[in-house]
Amino acid sequence: MLENLLTHSAFEILTLSDRAAQALAENPWEAAGYTLLALGGTGAFLSLLGMALIYVERKVAAHFQCRLGPMRVGWHGMLQSIADALKLLQKEDIIPEKADKLLFFLAPVFSIIATVLALIIIPMSPSLQVVDLNIGVIFISAVGGFGVLGILLAGWSSNNKWSLLGAMRAGAQFISYEISVTLSLLVITLLAGSLQLSEIVQSQQDGWWIWRGHIVGVVAFFVFIISSTAELNRPPFDLPEAESELTGGFHTEYSGLRFSFFFLAEFINMFIASALGATLFFGGWMPFHIGGFETFNSIMDLIPPGLWFAGKTAFIVFLMMWVRWTFPRLRVDQLMRLEWKFLLPVGFINLFAAATIVLTKLYFFPGQ
Amino acid sequence: MGYIDTKKSTKAKVTTVGNTPINVVIAPRSPSGADSESLLTTIFKSVKSLFVGMKVTIGYLVRPSTVVTQQYPENRETLKMFDRFRGQLRLIKDENNYMNCNGCNFCEIACPNGSIVITDQRNPVNEKLELERFLWRLDSCTFCNACLQACPHDALEWSDGFEAAVYDRRLLVYTLNDYAGPPVKAINRAKKKEDRVEELLATMEPRKQYGGPVPLAGRKMPGVPALETENTKDNASPKHK
Ligand code: SF4
Ligand code: SF4
Repeated sequence: MLENLLTHSAFEILTLSDRAAQALAENPWEAAGYTLLALGGTGAFLSLLGMALIYVERKVAAHFQCRLGPMRVGWHGMLQSIADALKLLQKEDIIPEKADKLLFFLAPVFSIIATVLALIIIPMSPSLQVVDLNIGVIFISAVGGFGVLGILLAGWSSNNKWSLLGAMRAGAQFISYEISVTLSLLVITLLAGSLQLSEIVQSQQDGWWIWRGHIVGVVAFFVFIISSTAELNRPPFDLPEAESELTGGFHTEYSGLRFSFFFLAEFINMFIASALGATLFFGGWMPFHIGGFETFNSIMDLIPPGLWFAGKTAFIVFLMMWVRWTFPRLRVDQLMRLEWKFLLPVGFINLFAAATIVLTKLYFFPGQ
Repeated sequence: MGYIDTKKSTKAKVTTVGNTPINVVIAPRSPSGADSESLLTTIFKSVKSLFVGMKVTIGYLVRPSTVVTQQYPENRETLKMFDRFRGQLRLIKDENNYMNCNGCNFCEIACPNGSIVITDQRNPVNEKLELERFLWRLDSCTFCNACLQACPHDALEWSDGFEAAVYDRRLLVYTLNDYAGPPVKAINRAKKKEDRVEELLATMEPRKQYGGPVPLAGRKMPGVPALETENTKDNASPKHK
């Protein structure tokens, strides 16, 4: 295994589900162990990463605004997220009297389940991926829609006009921007010739798609990053929450643990979008390779794939935070105009350009 | 949509209001066709301005020296307030602790909400009016700075003290002068003429921070301890004004 990691020639893909399936033939307990590892690992990863991201976001935001951010709990406020999580757990759980109790209870669960479903197919390194579906890209788009179902249900079941308005905005925003996200995903699918995330990563052995696909790749990346920020309901597209107009948008009525589910889902979704961006455009865990330069490539291979993945994802996460704390917020009509009048045509043209490029093999290192 | 185009040169002209000349800047407006600038120009301009914004914020991020917030209780010893910070009103004193204020009352008149009450007395030695008590109510002061601007003798300043919270609202009424008596100018004049200096200085009486007419007259009440005030004859209405 380790040798495989060190020699760049072949990255053996071994997902947790594969291992469980292999083990099932010999020893069912081992298979159960792998399944538990996948479940527990995903759960632990979800909560730890959520807390870490919240801390980082607060620190980055503070320094963007000439502040210091959390400083009191632990060294430079490192333990602030844990303190906040403990506080959230102790909070009173309020359910509005006129709410639709069942849906009110289910909505945050839907949100978090969608997040977990998307998380499990992210290839973090050749040996660190829970399942590797052959329809990975489609799967990601599909479960993304599941997440917005949670938001819509939250808005509807709260029986509150702000929640409903926020939820409807979220729905409209998601439906609109999902098209652009899918169009940019399709560009990479065309270039890589596969829907399977691990194969898309493997296809970038000679160079990442953002520069192998030159103009098309860059345009697709920008369309992807703009529209996935919009899908995540992050500022500058935070209309569903819109603190200034809708108090809290779809989660106005939520408190305590249920609210923390939405909050956690939002931050993990940011990670997923960044990880997806890194996987599709920056080669995922694939080290930085330039086709043909063997020495250079093997030096790059010395850095483990997990680190490459973490670094690229962190870069995109930082980009999203940077945008969030810099850009002015959009109005609802401007939001729709940006999507339908700008991003959508650009996305379509880009897709045609990508198809042309693939047919004529105009991208870099087409031979290999 | 008319906006002020700061890039274009501004013209200035002088008008007079009453007798005061006032500089008026005529801001150039964009021509009414500004909205019809081409779509590409608009896009280019907007994208460029977004990147300018990103450059500004990353500048703040990479330079921790730009942080303006203070870690207050920790750096209490070293905390330096800013030049224009308005903490608490204070009378300026020279090295001998003589004050500039001569009780001219201008600040009391200037104060928009009666936060200053000045009491004067006539000095028996040089027969001049002088400050007897400078009463300042922090609880009603709006820190508008009008008193400082009104003072013709440069006698007032703002201190850095911002820890003004107290447990009893009577403690928010301060006597700012620590003595009732001649201001530094009168003392200097007497010294110059060598005219009854000792006698003049002997007329100075001490004043405590909490003295004079404080709310509830400094009385003890259930749950409120008595306030230490000086001679309570001061609590009566001013002697002369
Ligand atoms: S700052 Fe304004 S309100 Fe306060 S004492 Fe001076 S004049 Fe009155
Ligand atoms: S502080 Fe200034 S304005 Fe006020 S009484 Fe004293 S000298 Fe006059």
